[in-house]
Amino acid sequence: MAVTMDPLFLAWSYFRRRKFQQCSDVCSKILQDSPYDQAAWSLKTRALTETVYIDEVDVDQEGIAEIMLDESAIAQVARPGTSLRIPGTSQGGGPSPAVRPVTQSGRPITGFVRPSTQSGRPGTMEQAIRTPRTAHTARPVSSSSGRFVRLGTASMLTNPDGPFINLSRLNLAKYAQKPNLSKTLFEYIFHHENDIKNVSTQFISKTHALDLAAMATEHAQFKDWWWKVQLGKCYYRLGLYREAEKQFRSALNHQEVVDTYLYLAKVYQRLDQPITALTLFKQGLDHFPGEVTLLTGIARIHEEMNNVTSATEYYKDVLKQDNTHVEAIACIGSNHFYGDQPEIALRFYRSRLLQMGVYNCQLYNNLGLCCFYAQQYDMTLSSFERALSLAASDEETADVWYNLGHVAVGIGDLTLAYQCFKLTLANNNDHAEAYNNLAVLELRRGRIEQAKAFLQTACSIAPHMYEPHFNMATLSEKVGDLQSSYMAAQKSEDAFPEHVDTQQILKNLRQHFAVL
Amino acid sequence: MPEVKSSFREVLPKQGQLSVEDIPTLVLCKPKLLPLKSVTLEKLEKMQREAQEAIRQQEAMQREQQHEPK
Repeated sequence: MAVTMDPLFLAWSYFRRRKFQQCSDVCSKILQDSPYDQAAWSLKTRALTETVYIDEVDVDQEGIAEIMLDESAIAQVARPGTSLRIPGTSQGGGPSPAVRPVTQSGRPITGFVRPSTQSGRPGTMEQAIRTPRTAHTARPVSSSSGRFVRLGTASMLTNPDGPFINLSRLNLAKYAQKPNLSKTLFEYIFHHENDIKNVSTQFISKTHALDLAAMATEHAQFKDWWWKVQLGKCYYRLGLYREAEKQFRSALNHQEVVDTYLYLAKVYQRLDQPITALTLFKQGLDHFPGEVTLLTGIARIHEEMNNVTSATEYYKDVLKQDNTHVEAIACIGSNHFYGDQPEIALRFYRSRLLQMGVYNCQLYNNLGLCCFYAQQYDMTLSSFERALSLAASDEETADVWYNLGHVAVGIGDLTLAYQCFKLTLANNNDHAEAYNNLAVLELRRGRIEQAKAFLQTACSIAPHMYEPHFNMATLSEKVGDLQSSYMAAQKSEDAFPEHVDTQQILKNLRQHFAVL
Repeated sequence: MPEVKSSFREVLPKQGQLSVEDIPTLVLCKPKLLPLKSVTLEKLEKMQREAQEAIRQQEAMQREQQHEPK
């Protein structure tokens, strides 16, 4: 007869091996037999938390509601170099849109996406709503809590007996007094249930409990930095940034922890105070020299403020500390590519990322592009083939076909290019760049009406790009429609003020109009 | 084939002004390097996909249960 393992030990073993579902099943069985088993209860909360755990430092999504109802803005028009909201306010001289494509919010595209970079800051409500809903554009989610709520309801739906812990029936004050249970319970409520209001009421009771404890056992309990950080996290999720700042500051007074610096910097970034965030990161670096996450934070801020040169410097510092840092490698690589050094970009993408085991559609697409522009034609098409086979969504497939279209243009095979751009649109009919390039190809074939239609589509999908506006201006001027040409040229100037050809067209048109 | 080579010679004007008229040409949009995804983002997307899948299965089950009594 086989000897059965002690169920709690088995559950622990499952937990350590990250088999959370089995762990919580075993715990449920234990709890059926003895409902007051605190060890099993606590372990189950931890297992359920781990199934939906996301690093809180990385999660930073701004919804339309948060952007439009922003109360913390001090000035409507920020001074140059002090704001993250206006992309043009840097003095660092970012790459011009003529060589590096820009995102919807007007920033050069980056080499790496995180949950927070996905939602850029659109300038107006209208722009926010009009942006097409794809993974690559900067349409904000309607509310930052939307995604959390959805994940929470899913986990509840799949559980036929209802939620594991009924929060409304929980006597939080009781649990707050038990330090060994309260921390796991807190994390469960914060990550799994996403019930921030409840968490903060727990906290109010928690502070009450602390008050009591403080009277009894001097002030020892008040000095728990962990709870202060958690309180700050709750305030942040609730949108009370100043309160969150206070909590994090006070937590830092008790104990220097890297995470706290990161959370605090996140608060400052949300308050649109990049300079304060930068000084904070530098303070953090004094305490933790060479800390990679802090260095990355600095680099990200520089990048968001369009200061690509210093961002690259900091990414290089990151690589000195951790030479397998994917974000740093990807960002430096894409900088080299758009800085007209595809060979060096190729080195970053191939000998660093590929050999490290990054294996996805994006990487092979980038490899293909770098190979083509670095004139290593033997690897170009095979890379793109692999990228196509690895593409997980229609948008990714569309982007690979779009880049293949560029290769086709480069070798002069315009029929192939035409087909590639058509395939892009078949996979993603919001692809403004493909519309623009198709228009250029159509015009080469002499089909003016078709080209004009494509350009108009491109203009309406992506008003932030200068290319379709400029092409429209050129085309209209050729046809003799000076009024539309002037209007399109003005839009192009808004998107890219330094563009010389646009200025030339505008100058010509103004002369024309003056003569009339 | 040296004869062929000598029959073509480049012409570079050494005197006078050389002027090229700058004709505005249409611009293509630039090739796009795709940004790599962070671990958190991939995890988030995976979790969301799984959650959607779970809900879809749940709904399918419910629909089957509703059809059975008939």
